[in-house]
Amino acid sequence: MDSVLIIVDKAPYGYEDTFSGFYVAIACLNRGMKADVLLVGDGVYSAIKDQEPGGSVDYPKVGELSYLVFPEGSIFVHKESMQDRGIEEDDLVEAAQIINDNKLYELISSKTKNTAFIRI
Amino acid sequence: MVDTSHEESKTLTIILTEGPYRSQYVEMAHNIAESALNNGYGVNLFLYMDATHIPKKNQNPHSFPNVGERLKHLIKKGAIVRACVRCATARGHACDKTSYLSGVSITSVYDIPGWVNESDKVITLSG
Repeated sequence: MDSVLIIVDKAPYGYEDTFSGFYVAIACLNRGMKADVLLVGDGVYSAIKDQEPGGSVDYPKVGELSYLVFPEGSIFVHKESMQDRGIEEDDLVEAAQIINDNKLYELISSKTKNTAFIRI
Repeated sequence: MVDTSHEESKTLTIILTEGPYRSQYVEMAHNIAESALNNGYGVNLFLYMDATHIPKKNQNPHSFPNVGERLKHLIKKGAIVRACVRCATARGHACDKTSYLSGVSITSVYDIPGWVNESDKVITLSG
């Protein structure tokens, strides 16, 4: 297999999973492997710009991690998940690439052969 | 009859993120790994996040099968098991080399691309 698609469906800060997903993507890219991130469900919160975790939530800013993936890898953000949560395009980091259900289907079907789907 | 003796062994990589006992994911990973080994696959098991609790020595569950014992069995059968150093250190396992079962390496998330590259199948078990 020569590429990975990291699927994140949990909100950042509430779970370690988002960071761990991004770290896998970054490691793959640094080793020369194609890697993209798909944010779906609560995972779309990770792409919101200007996040300022602080105080008791002393975690890295996940929005900034997206720039360690982009532009070598893509940050796909599921449009319908955004709409469900009242998130608009202007709310997102520049690295985000919004995809609707049809584009998501095309993305998954285009990656089926040699891609590892890693849901964190 | 087809001679398959020259064929290279296939490789399965399992990335596990869940810890023991709270969920059935560890048992599922063990079952899949054992079945793959029995079918001639090479098996890699990467322990990520709470899964880095799994290789802890001296587990003594009263109501559940001991996941450490099951892991020892898989290692004996040829499974390669590695744990993420960031996750293991956060949980207090990487600082003391004696805390883990023998045969488990503490490495890093940078092993994942290499394992993905050599694998025919990659399965992630994540809650």
